[in-house]
Amino acid sequence: MAENTTGYRYYLTLCDGPTCMQKASRTMRETLERELARLHLSDKVRILVSGCLGMCQKGPILIVNPGYAMYGRLTEEAVVRIVEEHLFNNRPVLDFIIDEDHLFNKFYRVFGDVNFFGKQMRIALRNCGVIDPESIDDYLCVRGYEALAKVLSVMTPWEVIAEMKKSGLRGRGGAGFATGVKWELTAREKSDVKYVICNADEGDPGAFMDRSAIEGDPHTVIEGIIIGGYAVGARNGIIYIRAEYPLAIKRLERAIAAARAAGLLGQNILGTAFSFDIEIRLGAGAFVCGEETALMHSIEGHRGMPRPRPPYPSASGLFGKPTLINNVETWANVPVIILDGADWFATLGTKTSKGTKVFALAGRVNNTGLIEVPMGTTIRQIVFDIGGGVPDGRRFKAVQIGGPSGGCLPEQYLDTQIDYESLTQAGAFMGSGGMIVMDETSCMVNIARYFLEFTQDESCGKCTPCREGTKRMLEILTRITEGSGTAEDIVRLERLGALIKRASLCGLGQSAPNAVLSTLRHFREEYEEHIQHKRCRAGVCQAMLSYAITDACTGCGACRKACPVNAISGTQKTLHVIDQKACIKCNNCFVTCKFEAITKS
Amino acid sequence: MDTTTVNIIIDGKPYAARHGQTIMQAADEHGFHIPRLCYHPRLSIEGACRVCIVEVEGAKNYVASCAFPVSEGMKIHTNTQEIRRARRDIVELILDNHPDDCHTCERDSNCELQRLAASMGIRNRHFKGEKKHYEKDLSSASVIRDPNKCILCQRCLRICSEVQGVNALSHAFRGFQTVVMPAYNLPFAESVCSTCGQCINVCPTAAFVEKNCTQELFEKLNDPSIIKVVQVAPSVRAAIGEAFALEPGRNMEGQTAAALRRLGFDYVFDTQFSADLTIMEEASEFLERFQNKDRLPLITSCSSAWMKMMEQFHPDFIPNISSCKSPMVMMGTLVKTYFAEKMKIDPAKILSVGCMCCTAKKYEAERPELRVNNMAAVDMVITTRELAWMVKSAGIDFINIHPESFDLPLGLSSGGGAIFGVTGGVMESAIRTAYEMYTGETLVDIEIGALRGFSGIREGKITMDKDEIRVAVAHGLGNASELLDIVRKNPQRYHFIEIMGCPGGCIGGGGQPYAGVNSMPLDENILKKRAEALYSIDRAKTIRRSLDNPDVQRMYKEYLGSPLSQRAHDLLHTHYAPKLPQGILPIESTVK
Amino acid sequence: MATPLELIKKKRAEAINRVISKGYLSTKRVYVGMATCEIAAGSKEAWDVFKTAIEQGLTNVYLSQKGCVGRCNLEPTVEVIENDRMPVKYGKVTAKRAQEIVERHLKKGEIITEWTI
Repeated sequence: MAENTTGYRYYLTLCDGPTCMQKASRTMRETLERELARLHLSDKVRILVSGCLGMCQKGPILIVNPGYAMYGRLTEEAVVRIVEEHLFNNRPVLDFIIDEDHLFNKFYRVFGDVNFFGKQMRIALRNCGVIDPESIDDYLCVRGYEALAKVLSVMTPWEVIAEMKKSGLRGRGGAGFATGVKWELTAREKSDVKYVICNADEGDPGAFMDRSAIEGDPHTVIEGIIIGGYAVGARNGIIYIRAEYPLAIKRLERAIAAARAAGLLGQNILGTAFSFDIEIRLGAGAFVCGEETALMHSIEGHRGMPRPRPPYPSASGLFGKPTLINNVETWANVPVIILDGADWFATLGTKTSKGTKVFALAGRVNNTGLIEVPMGTTIRQIVFDIGGGVPDGRRFKAVQIGGPSGGCLPEQYLDTQIDYESLTQAGAFMGSGGMIVMDETSCMVNIARYFLEFTQDESCGKCTPCREGTKRMLEILTRITEGSGTAEDIVRLERLGALIKRASLCGLGQSAPNAVLSTLRHFREEYEEHIQHKRCRAGVCQAMLSYAITDACTGCGACRKACPVNAISGTQKTLHVIDQKACIKCNNCFVTCKFEAITKS
Repeated sequence: MDTTTVNIIIDGKPYAARHGQTIMQAADEHGFHIPRLCYHPRLSIEGACRVCIVEVEGAKNYVASCAFPVSEGMKIHTNTQEIRRARRDIVELILDNHPDDCHTCERDSNCELQRLAASMGIRNRHFKGEKKHYEKDLSSASVIRDPNKCILCQRCLRICSEVQGVNALSHAFRGFQTVVMPAYNLPFAESVCSTCGQCINVCPTAAFVEKNCTQELFEKLNDPSIIKVVQVAPSVRAAIGEAFALEPGRNMEGQTAAALRRLGFDYVFDTQFSADLTIMEEASEFLERFQNKDRLPLITSCSSAWMKMMEQFHPDFIPNISSCKSPMVMMGTLVKTYFAEKMKIDPAKILSVGCMCCTAKKYEAERPELRVNNMAAVDMVITTRELAWMVKSAGIDFINIHPESFDLPLGLSSGGGAIFGVTGGVMESAIRTAYEMYTGETLVDIEIGALRGFSGIREGKITMDKDEIRVAVAHGLGNASELLDIVRKNPQRYHFIEIMGCPGGCIGGGGQPYAGVNSMPLDENILKKRAEALYSIDRAKTIRRSLDNPDVQRMYKEYLGSPLSQRAHDLLHTHYAPKLPQGILPIESTVK
Repeated sequence: MATPLELIKKKRAEAINRVISKGYLSTKRVYVGMATCEIAAGSKEAWDVFKTAIEQGLTNVYLSQKGCVGRCNLEPTVEVIENDRMPVKYGKVTAKRAQEIVERHLKKGEIITEWTI
């Protein structure tokens, strides 16, 4: 290897915390120096000493960079071998690498922008942005498929299920059903054929958690699915992913092929009696196909429409067989729980919601991005610490959580903790993880209308409340934003909203009114302003705007020429005026004026 | 079935239910008729309309009682103010997207939605807004599709798929734009629709209705230059009483003949006569093939919906299909030949009308290969429903009218002709005649129990001399396809097969009266009563075998010669060809 | 017979050797974000710049792709990891910036601080 500019080939970090010291890290250093000298490496290797690395029970600890190989429980013999094999022959000594850590790259998790990354904790996304997603070798380097190997070596299916139950992991697709319980129900069913499904039909507008997770680390998801198959006694896994994600599909296909070639999928996995394979099914991108029964209909070749439950998929799912269905993020948590243990996982998060949650942070926030935070993090921490607050000095108004199924929370809910129960209580919904920040330029009525338009468009059309009810709500909202709402319209919205929420067939319908109900709850005065005063405080609802020309007008006539309905009059070089009755609020004059002489309010 | 008792509480009072029952089933048994709309006892559970919601203590949301199973200790509320209001609002939401044209609607006073809305007490409308607007599909000869009336209960597509196995209908689009249509939104006439009309039977509104030709018929009936001839199918007399609020199962044969004369028909003939003729031809055809071991099993061809479906989906069985025309077309052919010659009437002046229980007969009447001397054998087909309406419209006292007989020479029939209308009847009748043709002896026990009843596929064995004849019967197109799959696997299994396209046979046809206030369409109890009406006609006849019908015998002697003669072949037999509608690829290997 | 755990450890050892043989232990490692969003923002162009530089003789640089790290508003992102230095993550790496990173950082060891995240 060529000499590098600094002259050092390796940097060693030796933990000098009190425990390691007690465990003879000092003598280790002597041994190290002696061995380096013996092999003439002293000037090629620099030894750094750190404070406690927090791995006391595994001490003494030695970290070799580059590569971030962490050696633990050092002994004389270990140090000799590390110097000979790793530092001299460039081959890490796997025997002494401590299992609880990843061989490569762990510290990236918190480097760089400390504000952005510091409050995060990456479990599902632990390898995203760290390894090459198209290389199974990269994944193997970071203890990839070790959870699977552990399960196959030393755990019975029931032990795996017990571990999942103990971890407290709940479904990350939105509803938050206890994952372990779901596994147990499926495992209890007696059937010759069972299916395991990964729901990657991510459909919330602006959400890309699943896509990023699969694109960044497909093997984690695959490993999770295989473990699920082992636990419930299935041989067939299906990943249902929307066709709009070509790169994610390509990487999944590669990963599946690589895993098969490595004997990690297919017949007799890792030399055991367990056989399991995964196929990919493409969805056409219907939002409702994220609902599990609709998704299964779609796989079966039918129109993606939900059916009443019970029977639940665990009893009668795909092709009438017991089926375990979890979403991408849920699956991505599985290998970590198996490797690092349910006890550790259960220490993360809140009393009822364990672990972490991935969010797609978007909207009026400085740092938009994909984040993973421990449950129990407050919305304020996400928006202001990780997200860096609202840009352009504007004022925070609301955060929309949970996509079309979720709700809008105002400022006074900023200290709400992220967990399933707290969010639901506040009128929002965990959902799959969309989080949109809004400032004072957002009209809450219009936001509600936007989401309802989406759910109405995406309603499968099967049940009356969702198909017809959301249409009527949308009509009412539209007329409110157009300035022709009446006081009864709020009563109608609440009546329809309550009906749709409780009477609809599936989760899409049951959550469709949330956008309206939560804004009615937290921003009722905006609705009332729209109806009574024909005023949109955010200046969004075009029909409510009135345009006026101020003294800054130079009488250039540009606006007059731009107006399509001749509502602007005035002679050259005199102040122009807008005929309010004729104005159609097309915004042309506002855009045309070079002197900022036109205001809208 | 699991018979474990489950204790439930409905509206505060304890009741016993059985494990595995839905809330609706349990409630029904105890006198709670929870309002419902998309539910149909013959079809799969959809839970789509949400009208049958109830409150269950502990459940976050309302539950659809049609779909939700009972469990021990379940506390159900069917009638709280809240649930009543929720149901009312759901029905209003349906109405808000439904044309407000009850007075001019074909289903006025026969509409399940109308009844439901009335019972909900919807007097004010809170949520009115945009209504859907689609063009009616008038392309089919049999069935008109009007998506504006559709409330998306999915009964039509469920019966089309689950009972008939045709799958002509599906949803398209989403949300408010959701609509039920044939594949590629093809005109119905070009779709795989078999024209059976079961969608009309189960539709709670008027989203599907038959192609109505009563106005045209009234006009023709008033034209003195036309000789008006009508024939009446067996099942019409067994069901038409229901359209006049009579108990199902009343035989209205004489009243029907009398009413048709009052409407202006010059000759009223009985399709049961040509049914006897069909038996003569078909039994002979069967015996010929049986003795020559040629193209067995022979499959009957009376049901026109079945014929269309067979040509589309099972063309590999075309060689097995009996070449006999249907009884309606045989009658129409004879009217324009034998009868015209005998009466010295110019057949071009004859209007030949079929009064049928069937919508597919409208399609069949238009088939070009069934024309006779370049004329349609049957010029016009009206359904039982259309006849009932005409009778009402003309002010005829159908219930009290004095019964009259059919006209001769095409009006006399055996009991074997009557039972054509029930599933298994053609086979039973064919055996009665074939037995005697084959053995020279009279079959003593002529009611063949194995072929009666309503299970989807039934089998029987008859010994003629020393030969065993194995027969099978299927009704409903789904069962027909299933039976053909059995034959594909085991071609030797049967010698003779009867297939009827509609559940129950013609008595359950797509043109029969709408279900009454207290019944569901295709209710098996009603079908049984209609069947019993036909069986009682059979029992009351002294002539019960087609070959004993003296007018049939005379016709052979005077006109046709013998069964399967050249003339019989020219007039009474036809041929079939594969029909592959758009979207269906021929499966080379299955086309023989 | 080997247990699955033993097998996977063997597989990992082989994988590590393969990764190392691809040059993982080079002085500098360059990671280019290549998720859909990053590609849409232009990361393929950045990738090509690094690839070309290596083909044209830039040595001791290990180039690899990686998934999304979540910095949507700063894409495409490129990370440079060097011995003895804090790893550096650059944001909004256009082809032009990538060329600069090659010239100044990879060749001369200069961290272009104004582009770092």
